[in-house]
Amino acid sequence: MTQIQPELTEDIKKYGAFDFTACYNCGNCTAVCNLTEKNSNFPRMMVRYSMLGLKEEILSSKELWMCYACGECSDTCPREAGPGVLMSNLRRYAIANYEKTGLTRLMFKNNPFFIAITLILAVVLAFFLLTIKPDTEVARWLFRYVPYEVLHSFGMGAFALMGLSAFVGVVVMWRHIGKEKKIAFTGEFFKKAVNAAKKVIGEVATLKRYQNCDSDSSIWSKKAVWLRPWFVHWTIMWGFIGLLVATTLDFIFKDPATTIWWPSRILGTIAGILMVYGSTVALNYRFRKITKTYANTLMADWMFLGFLWLAGITGFWLEIAVAMGADLFINHVVLMIHIIISMELVILFAFSKFAHAFYRPLALFMHNL
Amino acid sequence: MKKKIGVYVCHCGGNISDHVDIEKVKAAVRDEADVYLVKNTLFACADSSQKEIGSDIENEHLDAIVVASCSPKLHLNTFRGVAQRAGLNPYNYVQVNIREQSSWAHSDNKTGATEKAILLVKAGIAKAKESEALQSLKIPAANVVAVIGAGVGGMKTAIGLADMGTEVYLIEKDFFVGGRTPQWGTVSPNGDEGAILTEKLYKEVVRRPNITLFTGAELVEKSGSIGNFDLKIALRPRFVSGNPSTEAMQRAAEACPVAVKDDFNFGLTNRRAFMLPAQGQFPQVPAIDQSACTRCGECTAACHEVDLTQEVQTITLHVGAFVVNTGFDPYQPAQGEYGYGELDNVITLPQFRRLMEMNESELVFNGKKIKKIAYIYCVGSRQDDDEGNTYCSRYCCTATSLTAVLAKKKFGNIINFHFNRGIRTYGKHELVYEAASKQGDIFLQFSLKSIPQIEKRGNKTYVKVKDILTAGKELETEADLIVLVTGMVPRKNELLAQQLKIPTGRDHFFNEIHMKLRPVETVIDGVLIAGTCQSPKNILETVNSSMAAAAKINSVLTKGELSLEPTLAKVNPAACDWCDNCSKACPFDAILQTEINGKKVARVNESNCKGCGMCTPVCPTDAIDLAGYTNAQVESMIDALAEA
Repeated sequence: MTQIQPELTEDIKKYGAFDFTACYNCGNCTAVCNLTEKNSNFPRMMVRYSMLGLKEEILSSKELWMCYACGECSDTCPREAGPGVLMSNLRRYAIANYEKTGLTRLMFKNNPFFIAITLILAVVLAFFLLTIKPDTEVARWLFRYVPYEVLHSFGMGAFALMGLSAFVGVVVMWRHIGKEKKIAFTGEFFKKAVNAAKKVIGEVATLKRYQNCDSDSSIWSKKAVWLRPWFVHWTIMWGFIGLLVATTLDFIFKDPATTIWWPSRILGTIAGILMVYGSTVALNYRFRKITKTYANTLMADWMFLGFLWLAGITGFWLEIAVAMGADLFINHVVLMIHIIISMELVILFAFSKFAHAFYRPLALFMHNL
Repeated sequence: MKKKIGVYVCHCGGNISDHVDIEKVKAAVRDEADVYLVKNTLFACADSSQKEIGSDIENEHLDAIVVASCSPKLHLNTFRGVAQRAGLNPYNYVQVNIREQSSWAHSDNKTGATEKAILLVKAGIAKAKESEALQSLKIPAANVVAVIGAGVGGMKTAIGLADMGTEVYLIEKDFFVGGRTPQWGTVSPNGDEGAILTEKLYKEVVRRPNITLFTGAELVEKSGSIGNFDLKIALRPRFVSGNPSTEAMQRAAEACPVAVKDDFNFGLTNRRAFMLPAQGQFPQVPAIDQSACTRCGECTAACHEVDLTQEVQTITLHVGAFVVNTGFDPYQPAQGEYGYGELDNVITLPQFRRLMEMNESELVFNGKKIKKIAYIYCVGSRQDDDEGNTYCSRYCCTATSLTAVLAKKKFGNIINFHFNRGIRTYGKHELVYEAASKQGDIFLQFSLKSIPQIEKRGNKTYVKVKDILTAGKELETEADLIVLVTGMVPRKNELLAQQLKIPTGRDHFFNEIHMKLRPVETVIDGVLIAGTCQSPKNILETVNSSMAAAAKINSVLTKGELSLEPTLAKVNPAACDWCDNCSKACPFDAILQTEINGKKVARVNESNCKGCGMCTPVCPTDAIDLAGYTNAQVESMIDALAEA
């Protein structure tokens, strides 16, 4: 028997959705949604779960991740209950609950904590970076108190914690959704899994489902493709993936290429352009609040997008600086910022909005099983 | 017998003449005996045609006319007016309907339509021949109204009537006016207090010299008909005379040793046989409950105004009409219905409202602090057909939503669960639902097929429901208090129903003549209904219908006399042997027994007779006849039709 927990709505509201209790269950949101499928009638059912405080139902809903937040349901909701806004917030809520250290929950619910942890991490990373060259004054001062090894293992520990948390999060999500979906590991399962994986890869490559969000009635149908949210998302996503690959290639070959004609550098440049373009447009939409979805921008969104944008911009700065061979002090500062931000993105990967990068494909995978 | 009949056959543009051969009709009836002239008109109802018919009557001295045109529903009164203006009795006019009954019905068969029209016109001529001049009846009417029930509706009716110059007797069965309204506290939509509403109205009632208020009063006998009813009213003794001081009242109530369940609080508390008026009940003069009082006399010592020697008084009144405004009772749940009467934390909405009034800052029931409240809607309303009340009680969704808002406002830490079957807070009351939903109330929807289940586990109570809004998922919540949202049933009043004989519907509420067009009149002339004795209503709707009843009956009585249609039943005493068939057939109680020269015969009470004709075919001696539709007329019409 499922218990109603009205207290839970207050907790959900702390993730940023305030109006959903105005819902009177008309179902308009489900009706206008282009992604609603048979037997998965979000967003209304997710609003309903939230109003009744049905935590397990929320955490075991793969439907939560079927939505790309086009915001049409929020725009047309007769009660202005913001179903689309709630969907975004429930994803935050779910990430915070899948992730077991409690760090994500704190960051999502508490903005000062979010800023503080970002800053502290930045300072720690700065020290760490400065200690790479042990002859600097700062490093000499530091090493009198903390040995280099301790700092090094601290950094490794942070990476390990992030990796473990991501893994635990994935397992927790699998168990919640799996329980609802009753997945059994039979021979047939693997056949289905291959099929589902293909669909996930197809979706990541093309964002075909996301493209369905540009319905005839939405403001996006009149805009050029490169301005539509799915395309903006595609550029950010593939920009980041491209940069990750390029950086990894550089790292593996231990020889940071100096010429931009080097294949990994070409990849990095193209990927960087994509990511800077996407994050610039996305930030612009959020500043201008052009739809209800973009108007509902929380600290987690600003930080994530802002970091991506900064990482891209500083990357190009450095690329130009390297190409010009200018050995200015400012360039060293920019390098510091670039590395700190990139490191933060990676370290906070499992604890931030970034975590959707593995939760969403997993949910999509389970949906297709 | 009429000798000079004018016949007019109407083309109705082409409505009739397209399918009925007008010339043939004219030719066929021209040679009928006693037909003086036959004419056709393009539009008989047109001004010029009316003038022509009128001048024919005057110049040719016609003694009856027949217009063959459309339905009498459309133009009977038009041509009666033409006759009257030309000096002919309007009942010497006969309308024949050859449009709906011939032309339109048989547009596919021109010959047949024409033949049928000819027969209909001939029958009309036959009827006109036998027609008699009738005079409409005038009877004197008392511009006095007995308003039964002094709740919000009754008081509004009384005030409305009094202001239009009608004398009012306001008759209340209880010792206090106000009815259900003072029991409610705050009411929707604008947050008025029930007690204050009642107080305002009571002050208005006593301020008017032409309203006489009787409390503890009941109609025990009624005779007569519209304009002239004679009533007997029994006045139960209050056993308190004058106006005792508050202290004396308190002392007397404390001295009273008899405790009974307090109806005002719906049995949640006890009161004494010496009843103190509650807030909002008027007059603020105590009364002694005769059925509970043991006549021990303890109160007489405490309060000098107590007079246990008072007895039931019967008075007689003469009134022109009634407005019945007897209100409703809250539906009483059956033993075990949602745990009612079995679990100590299951109460009804009216009880809960009293409980809220009685608690100050903390909501406590049976010594337990209440936090989670489950409201179960539609208890005693919208039930299954074979089970009981199929109707919606209209007020309860609003009342419950408002209750939930008020409870949270007054007691703070409250969580409201609304187990409903679709919320109907129509009109301005929508704001109340809005407020309830805004404050985070939880609305769960069930269907009649799977109603919520109440379950006691340990010392906790749980409500289980298959929530329609969550795709039929089984949900459960703990509840400290379960409030059954009970609907309305008509207030029990058998004596009154028996006296006034107002028909009731399948829902047991009093029935109006026409829901839309005659919403406050009943088939009994001079007996009007208003408020919740007619159907479930909220206060606003009750006041609306009460004012409507006031205006309606005043418009009838204010002339001092009533004009009745002369198409009434008539008894020929010489032929009558009083077999009682006619009075049994009469649906309006219009036939009485009387004696003429020692012979028992039937007599028609003309002010009750509706001219329906039910009595004429059952008479074995043809002693009863209906003016305007006499046996002679109808038989001659049949002859004319059968001639073919």
